[in-house]
Amino acid sequence: MLRRRTVLATTAAALAAPAIAQPRQRISFLTWNLIDQEALVKRWIESFQRANPGAEVEWLDKKGPELPAFYQTQLAAGTPPDVINTQGTLWLEYAANNVLLDMTPRIAADADMRGRFNAEYLANWTYTERNFMVPFYITKTLLFFNRPMFQRAGLAGPPQSFDDILAFAAKMASADTTGFLTLNFDWLYWPLFKMNGVELLTPDLAKPAFNTPKAVEVLEKLARASDTGAINKISWTGRWVEPNGAFAAGNVGMLHAHSPAYFFVKGQGSWVNSETIGAAHMPGNWATPNSHGLGISRASKNPDLAWAFVKHVTSDTQAGLFANERKILTGNTAVDRALLAKLAVEDPTLEKILRTQIEHTDRMTGNWRLPNDARIKDAFWPEMQNALLGRKTARQALADAERRVARELSRS
Amino acid sequence: MPNGAWRGNFRAAEVTSWYARKRTRELALVVCFLAPSLLIFFLYRLAPLGWNAVLSFQSWSPMRPARWVGFEHYEEMLFYDEVFWQALWNTLVWIAAAPIGIVLALGIALLVNSDLKGASVYRTIVFLSYPLMTVAVGIVWRWMYDERGGFINWVLRSAGIIDRPLGFLSSFALALPSVIATEIWQILGFYMIVLLTGLQAIPTHLYEAARIDGAPAFARFTRITLPMLRPSLFLCAVIALLNSFTSFDLVYIMTNGGPGHATELLITYIYKLGFGQTKFDYAAAVTVVQFLLLLFLTFLANRAAGGNAGAVERD
Repeated sequence: MLRRRTVLATTAAALAAPAIAQPRQRISFLTWNLIDQEALVKRWIESFQRANPGAEVEWLDKKGPELPAFYQTQLAAGTPPDVINTQGTLWLEYAANNVLLDMTPRIAADADMRGRFNAEYLANWTYTERNFMVPFYITKTLLFFNRPMFQRAGLAGPPQSFDDILAFAAKMASADTTGFLTLNFDWLYWPLFKMNGVELLTPDLAKPAFNTPKAVEVLEKLARASDTGAINKISWTGRWVEPNGAFAAGNVGMLHAHSPAYFFVKGQGSWVNSETIGAAHMPGNWATPNSHGLGISRASKNPDLAWAFVKHVTSDTQAGLFANERKILTGNTAVDRALLAKLAVEDPTLEKILRTQIEHTDRMTGNWRLPNDARIKDAFWPEMQNALLGRKTARQALADAERRVARELSRS
Repeated sequence: MPNGAWRGNFRAAEVTSWYARKRTRELALVVCFLAPSLLIFFLYRLAPLGWNAVLSFQSWSPMRPARWVGFEHYEEMLFYDEVFWQALWNTLVWIAAAPIGIVLALGIALLVNSDLKGASVYRTIVFLSYPLMTVAVGIVWRWMYDERGGFINWVLRSAGIIDRPLGFLSSFALALPSVIATEIWQILGFYMIVLLTGLQAIPTHLYEAARIDGAPAFARFTRITLPMLRPSLFLCAVIALLNSFTSFDLVYIMTNGGPGHATELLITYIYKLGFGQTKFDYAAAVTVVQFLLLLFLTFLANRAAGGNAGAVERD
């Protein structure tokens, strides 16, 4: 009898002990298209749980187009994931609507976090001078070029001006080839306007500023080049697969894209090697960032644990694993320096491409702090397409775009 | 009251009561069977529809509480939103193009219903496009239409029909017809099977009698085949109508509504408003308009079919 009572008591104590000693704290981690890094994410979680007994991290991964819809439905349900990974300017709407936690005081209080990141990339995640996210992995646009096509056209090096881009493209264009392609989502094409001094909005972001004679001239030139075949029309209609696939086919002279495009092009283009692909900055060194960041939902029940997880994932060790696995820059300066040093030996082409991502970071454009960025984009871009594909004159398209953008700005 | 009469009344009341109980039991059984379906219908159809209608008069997003704004979204939609009108026009064009597919399918159904050699093989070939996944169809046709390396441009150039490649999906004029052609190609097989079934249900003695009376082939087609095919044609028309309002995947994959908004349909526009621009309230207003339009067109189709489409015939 005594033995049975002892066994029952011991079992009850054993079952109750963890709950008493370590109340479990749970957070969820939502990532953007990282399913290929399942092993790595699990390692992050395991090491975090080891370092934080009682903590439990649930990982959720969504593909790009699904993530915003998922997050918004979770917000509506009142159960948003604690830590979220977003790309581009999506976070701005969340920040402006008080959905994300202001990380500024936590960063200010943590010397390690303060000094961990590339300052310009960290600043890229500020809205009303408050940091709502920190860098997770960083990218911005650059110019890839097909060296054999350049040689055949008698071109010595990458273009140095907007007119150079068009002239080079025209030289390389033929019945089966085109000279230039750009990605167009998330303002990635904006360096083409910025290098000509065209501004989208006034400095206070209150009014459109793009309807200028210079913008008309730029748009007319781009439309003409698209009509003659110097610029591949996929630039204005494709998204990710089509333009990168077209460049990978080997009959497009230049591709303006962000650094991850290299892996796509290399994977598909049998012509791509260190001798044949070139990488350079766009004229004027202008580039549009399209980075990934980590933020914390304001509705998180465990913000401290979520913050600890963000610190863990962006730490030198964990971010180092990420950088080495995916061959990307993380915004963690020490990690990025180490990766570039390693790649300089192992893969100089990739090193050259990635190095552009941390150069001229003061010349990033197309990253306005607009909470209604998606709406402005949708008011502006279709009118640009109208001009670029010859449906409207540049003047008319810019006037219509100005009216539509002004209306969106006034509505917000 | 005589004893017999009382007994008779009692029996009558007993029988009535028995029938009443039986009816109640039957009714309860019917309600039991219907209740799960009705509950699901209410939860997944009526309640969202009602909430959607309410939402269309509110300013709401998952990030802020709802606020009543009256007809603001409708005013914006009707007087300021050019994209809405473009999407509405495109949807109507899409609907208007549906008869092309039905006529083509009818032609093919007549062919494979005749004594044509290898008719079953042709039937299978035409039907094959229908079970394919729409996403796969969209991707394949996108490459077929490609300006630089697309099969269609290659054929047209090789045949000397064009000297410059056509940007089927990048041209404002060609994009919508190109996507509609793909839609017709995919659903043609389904229409064909529906019409073929209808054709095979027409009693052959009608044709024999018409032949004996000396009716020419065209008269037999217009006086016998078409009237007898009316239910099948109506079914195809309704499916085409519904497809026009739900052809999201094909447009999303092939053009994403572009270039500009040249291939934007109401359904793709609603998705973009909701999940691209977080304008769920405004998207709800567009959804209400789409619903009313669908209701109106279904009413017209029903009238065209004689006003009793879907009615159950009792022997």
